[in-house]
Amino acid sequence: MKPPPFQYAAPTSVAEAVELLGAHADDDARALAGGQSLVPLMNFRLAQPAYLIDLRRIEELTRIRTEGDTLVIGAMVRQSHAEHAPEIAVGAPLLAEALGYVAHPPIRNSGTVGGSIAHADPAAELPAVVLALDAELVLAGLGGTRTVAAADFFTGPFSTAIGSGEILTEVRIPRRAGGHAFVEFARTHGNFALVGVAAVVELDGGTVARASIALSGVAPVPVRATAAEEALTGTVPDDASIRAAVDAAVAGLSPAGDVHGGRETRTDIARSYLRRGIELALSRAGDRR
Amino acid sequence: MTTMDRPDAPPVRTHKENRKWVGQSIRRVEDPKFLRGRGGYIGDMTVPGMLHAAVLRSPHAHARITGIDAAEALAAPGVHAVITGAQAAQLCDPLPDFGPDPAKHTWRCLAVDKVRYVGEGVAVVVADSRYLAEDALALIDVEYEPLPAVVDPERALADGAPLVHDDLGSNCAYERTFDFGDVERDFAEADVIVTDRLRWHRSGGQPLETVGALADFDHATGELTVHTNSLSFTSYLFMVAGTMKIPANKLDIRPVPAGGSFGSKLFATKPAVIAGMCSREVGHPVQYLEDRVDNISNCDHHGSDRVYDVRLAMMRDGTIRGIDIDTVEDYGAYIQFGVGHHGNALAQVVGPYAMTSVRYRVRAAMTNKNQQGAYRGFGSEVNNWMLEQMVDKAARELDLDPVAIRRQNFIREFPHFIPTGNVYDSGDYDGVLDKALELSDYKHWRAEQAKAREEGRCIGIGLITAQERSVFSATEFWFWFDEPGAPVTSMPESVTLKVDATGGITATLYSCAFWGNSPETMVAQLVAEEFDCDPHDVAIVYQGSKNGLPATGPGGSRTTVMLAGAVEGATAKIKAKALRAAAHLLEANPDDMEWVDGGFQVKGVPEQRKSLADIAVMLHLFKHSFPEDMESGLEDSKVFDHPYTTMPSADRKDLGVFYPFMGHACHVPVVEVDLETGSVSFLAYAAVHDCGTLVNPRSLAGHIVGGTAQGIGTALYEEFVYDDDGQLLTSSYLDYLIPSAMEVPELKIGHHETPSPYTLHGIKGGGEGGRMMAPAAINVAVNDALAHLGVRVTELPITPDRLRAAIRAAKSRESG
Amino acid sequence: MDRHDVTLTVNGRTSTVSVEPRKLLVDVLREDLGLTGTHVGCEHGVCGTCTVLRDGESIRSCTTFAVQVDGAEIRTVEGLAKGAELHPLQDEFWDKQGLQCGYCTPGMLMRACEIIEGNPDVTHDQVREGIASNLCRCTGYQFITEAVCAAAARMKADSAETTGAQA
Repeated sequence: MKPPPFQYAAPTSVAEAVELLGAHADDDARALAGGQSLVPLMNFRLAQPAYLIDLRRIEELTRIRTEGDTLVIGAMVRQSHAEHAPEIAVGAPLLAEALGYVAHPPIRNSGTVGGSIAHADPAAELPAVVLALDAELVLAGLGGTRTVAAADFFTGPFSTAIGSGEILTEVRIPRRAGGHAFVEFARTHGNFALVGVAAVVELDGGTVARASIALSGVAPVPVRATAAEEALTGTVPDDASIRAAVDAAVAGLSPAGDVHGGRETRTDIARSYLRRGIELALSRAGDRR
Repeated sequence: MTTMDRPDAPPVRTHKENRKWVGQSIRRVEDPKFLRGRGGYIGDMTVPGMLHAAVLRSPHAHARITGIDAAEALAAPGVHAVITGAQAAQLCDPLPDFGPDPAKHTWRCLAVDKVRYVGEGVAVVVADSRYLAEDALALIDVEYEPLPAVVDPERALADGAPLVHDDLGSNCAYERTFDFGDVERDFAEADVIVTDRLRWHRSGGQPLETVGALADFDHATGELTVHTNSLSFTSYLFMVAGTMKIPANKLDIRPVPAGGSFGSKLFATKPAVIAGMCSREVGHPVQYLEDRVDNISNCDHHGSDRVYDVRLAMMRDGTIRGIDIDTVEDYGAYIQFGVGHHGNALAQVVGPYAMTSVRYRVRAAMTNKNQQGAYRGFGSEVNNWMLEQMVDKAARELDLDPVAIRRQNFIREFPHFIPTGNVYDSGDYDGVLDKALELSDYKHWRAEQAKAREEGRCIGIGLITAQERSVFSATEFWFWFDEPGAPVTSMPESVTLKVDATGGITATLYSCAFWGNSPETMVAQLVAEEFDCDPHDVAIVYQGSKNGLPATGPGGSRTTVMLAGAVEGATAKIKAKALRAAAHLLEANPDDMEWVDGGFQVKGVPEQRKSLADIAVMLHLFKHSFPEDMESGLEDSKVFDHPYTTMPSADRKDLGVFYPFMGHACHVPVVEVDLETGSVSFLAYAAVHDCGTLVNPRSLAGHIVGGTAQGIGTALYEEFVYDDDGQLLTSSYLDYLIPSAMEVPELKIGHHETPSPYTLHGIKGGGEGGRMMAPAAINVAVNDALAHLGVRVTELPITPDRLRAAIRAAKSRESG
Repeated sequence: MDRHDVTLTVNGRTSTVSVEPRKLLVDVLREDLGLTGTHVGCEHGVCGTCTVLRDGESIRSCTTFAVQVDGAEIRTVEGLAKGAELHPLQDEFWDKQGLQCGYCTPGMLMRACEIIEGNPDVTHDQVREGIASNLCRCTGYQFITEAVCAAAARMKADSAETTGAQA
C-alpha cells in the first residue's frame, strides 16, 4: 500500500499556491493540507493526483483571529491546535467540542480545520459544525477571493463549491449566543461516526429563541435539521416538545445504509442522538423550562 | 459405550514443592529488544540486492481468467519480473494442504484458471522497491469472465449453487455424522428438548504485523533460505519443499519474531512460497510482505464461520443429558486444515458438563470467500459459545438459575472421559465458579440489575463456565476419515540445552519462534527451576528448520507444556552426565550425591561439592581427567513427544485422547445495552482461569486480558463482511473494527490452580483462554440484559444493526 | 524521477535525504535512516503502529510524506533510552508486561510519551482514552495503561526530586 508518484511543491503564499494550482490544472493538481484523508486514499491508490501543492508553509493560513463578532480560522490551523485555542473556546465552543471527536489526537496533530471541511466527508464532524454555525468559507483563486456560505458549500459526498484552481483559505464563524452541543455515535472510539449532531440553542426567558441543528452521516452532505429547529423555536422546551422536534427532523431523513448500519438503524440512532444533542445544548443554554 | 478398551493413562506425577522460579511473574526475557525498537521483525530485515514483491489481487469473487497481459508491467521502471498464476503453476506445486481431497480443491499460491474470492492473487511483480512493484501492478491487464458467486454456506450446499471447485462436483468438501454415547436414548428420555439456531460470522487474528517472508535462492547450491514470521515448519518442512519442487534438505526456513499471530501465522505458507518462487526466478533475494489489504482479504487464515442447529436433551430438574449438533462451516474457497477446527470442538464439546451423549454432524461448505485457517481457539471457542447459549436458553426455558444449572451439571471426578473419548485430566469447576462469583461481585450486580431495570436501563450479567483444551495431538486432523493418510500421533517439541565452560546455559528452540507468547521466558524460568540459576542469565536461540530437531511449534496452547517436557528431559540427561563427572572429581559414589542449589554434593557433606560451573569447565577443557567413554562438553537435547494421546476406535465411536490437559474458566461480564442505538458497553468484567500450575502469572493474565479483548471484538465489532456478490466490504481498519482501549474494560483476573497429574509441575496450556470465553460470556450478558423484553440475540458479532433489528422485532411483536 | 531534499532532525541527529515526494515518512525512517523501530501496520492511519513525535506531537508516519515534515524534529523509539538506561516508560512497560509481541510497542511508547509530557498528572482514565489512538492486538491495553500510569508517577517524582535538589 504505497502511494503513486506525484510532483510536489510547497509554496509560501496563497498567491503562489493558486498560481501553481492553475498552472497544473491539467495534471489533476490538488492542494495538500494535513493529508490525513488524502494520504490514506493515495496509499490505497484511490486518489492519484499528479501534482500536490502543500499549503503547510503558507503562514497566513495558520492563524486564528477575531474580527468583531466573527472568528476567522486559517484553513491550515491544525485540528489539535484549534481544539485547545482560547479564541475558539470562547468564539465557537461547538467547534472545540466537535474537534475532540475527530479521529484521534495523532490525526488531529496533522489534520487541519480547512482540510477536513474541504474533504467534505458526509460522516465528518466539521462540515456539520460549520453548517450549524452558518459559517462562511473563503476561497481564493487566480481571480481573487470569494466567500461561500456553508449552506451552499457542500455539494455532494466529498465534493464542494471549491472550484478548479481554488483553495479554501479561511473559515469565518459568526459568534453565536446560546448553549451548544456536539454529540456523535461511532462504533469504536475515534472511528467514523454513523451519526453526528451539532446544535446551538438560544433561550430567551425559557423560550427557544433560535435553534441551529445540523446532522452528519445521514445524507450525502451534512444537513440542517430544519424541521426540528422550527418545531423548537418559540416553545418552552420539555420532553414532549423535544420529542416532537426530533420526530419532525427524523421524518425527513432517509440515510443510506452501509456495513456499520442500515437505513433503519441510522435513523434510530439519529433519533436518539438528536434528542441527546438538543437536551445537552438546552441544558447548557440555561435553565430548561 | 465405547467400542474400544482405553489404554492406560500415563503415570501420575508427583510435583515439586517449593518452586523457586516457576510461578513467579518475572520480567519477560524477550522484552528489552522490543522496547528499544530492535525487534528484528521480518520487515526490518534487508540483505544486499534484495528486491520487493507485490501481489495483484482479484477484484472478482468468482471469475474465469481468460487472459493476462503483463508486457507493460514488465517494461515498467525497476521491474525485474512478473509471474502470473499460470506461470507460477509451472514453477511450484500446490500449497501444503491437509484438506479432505486436495486434488479436488487445489490450493495454489496464485490463482490459475479462475479466481475464487475477492483478493485472491493472480500475479506477482518483483521490483526494486515496493513502491515500484505496486506501480507495475496497475499496468497488468487481466481479462476476467465473471461467474456467479456463492457466499452463503447453506446456499452453497443447496442444489444448483455455482461450483467453487468444478472438480469437487459439489460445494460440500466434507460431511459426516458421529454418534458418541447413546444419543437416541438420551433424547427419548428427555423431559424437554431445547433447540436453537445460531450463527457465528467470521473474524480473524489480524496481528498488527502482517505475514511476510524474505527468500534467497542460491543457484550455486540449489538451496533456498526463507526467513519468515510464520511458524511450525520443522515437522512439515518436506511439504513446503514439495511445493517448491526442491529436496527438503535444500530448504531452510528460519524463524523471525512475529508481531502477533493469534493462530494466523501458524504454518502460513503462501507468502513464503511466493517469495521463494520469485527469488528463484530473478536470482535475487526477494522480500514479500503482505500489506493490510492483503492480510485481510488474501491471508492464509480467516477464523471460523459457522451455522448451528442444536438440540439439547434436558431433564426438568436441570440435568443435561445429551446434545445434538448439526453444523455447517463456511470454509471459503479452500480448506487447508480440513475440518480440524471441529476436532478441536470435539475435544471439549460437552464443556464442563457431565452429559452422556453427543451427536455431531459437520458439513464443510466451499464458498467464494477467503479460506479459513487458525484463529485463537481454532473452532473450540465457537463450540464454547454455542454450548453456553444453549445452557443459558435451557435455564430460561426451565426457569432455573443460570449459576445453579451449571453447577448441577459439573463434572467432579477426574480423569473424566467425555463421550467423544477425549479425557479431562483434572479440574475444580466449583472452585473456579466460587472464586468468580466473589471476584465479580455477582450478587451486587444482580441487585444493580434489578434497580436499573426499574429505571428502564438494561443491564445484563453474562456468567459462563467453559473449557480451554490444551496440547493437541494430530489425530484430531485425521480421525474424520476411516482410512487416514497419515496416522501421526505425536506432535513433538525439542529443546537443546548447552552448559558452557563457565556454567552459563543456552537453550535452543526448534520451530518454536516468538509470536507474542513467551517461549523464551517460559524456557528460562523452567531452566532456572532445574538448575537454580537466574532466568535472566539463560540465553535462548532459535534454530532454523534445516538442521532442527523434530518440532511442531506453538498452536493449540501447547508451547509451555511441551517445552517444559523437553527442558525436563534435556536437563535429566545433562544432570546425569554432570553427576557422573562430579562424582568422579570428588571420588565419590554417584548414589551418595544429590543436586543442591546449583551443584552436586555428597549428601550431608556440603563442602564435598562441585557447582555446575566447576563441572562444566572440567568437561569442556579437561576431558582426559574423565573416564574414556565421557566426551568433552556438556550439552544434550530432548525430543519430547506428546505425553498423552491414544488411538481412535476403528468405528470412530471413540476418538481416543487427543487434547488431554483441560483448562477451565468462568467469565462474568456485566454489560449495559443502549436500546436506542443497539450498542453495548461494559460496566464490569471478571475472569477466573484454571490452567493448572502457573509459570508466570502476569504473562497468563496478559493472555487472558488480550484474548478477552479479541473476544470482545468477535462478540461486538469484528466481521469480514462479504456482500451477496462476494465483494468484501471490510477490507481496511476503517471497516474491520478492532477494539481500542476504550472498548475494552478493566478486567478483574483470578487464577485457580488445579495441577495436571500428567505434566511437569502440573502445567496446562493457557494461551487462548480469553478468546475461548469472552464471545460466549458477552452474548449471554446481552441476552440477560434484554430477556425481559423478549429479545434474544443468536448471531455474532452483535452489531447495532443486529441488535436494533432484534429490538424492533420484539417491539413490533409486542404491539402487534 | 522528481526528488526533494528533506532535512530531518531525528532523535537529535540532523540528516538530509533525497527522496521522491511520495515516500512516506515511515519508509524514510526505516529505509533511508535505518531506524526500523517505527513499524508499518495498516498504512491508512488507523492502527498507530507507525506513531512518531513531530516537534513533540504524535503523528502517523504512514500517512505523512517525508517532504511534509522537512525541517522538523522527529523522535522515535530509538531515542527513548539513554544508552543502557531505559526510559521510565520502557522500564515500566517491561515491569508490567505492557507488551507481548512488541509490534505496537514503539508507537504506543511514543504516544504515551506525548501524553505524559503534556500532562504529568495524567489520570488512569485519561491514559486509557489517550492510548485509544493506538491499537494493540495482544495485551487488551490493561497492562499498558498500568505501565504508563506508573511511568508518569515515576517521572513526576523524579522531576520533583530534581526541582527539590535545585531549590
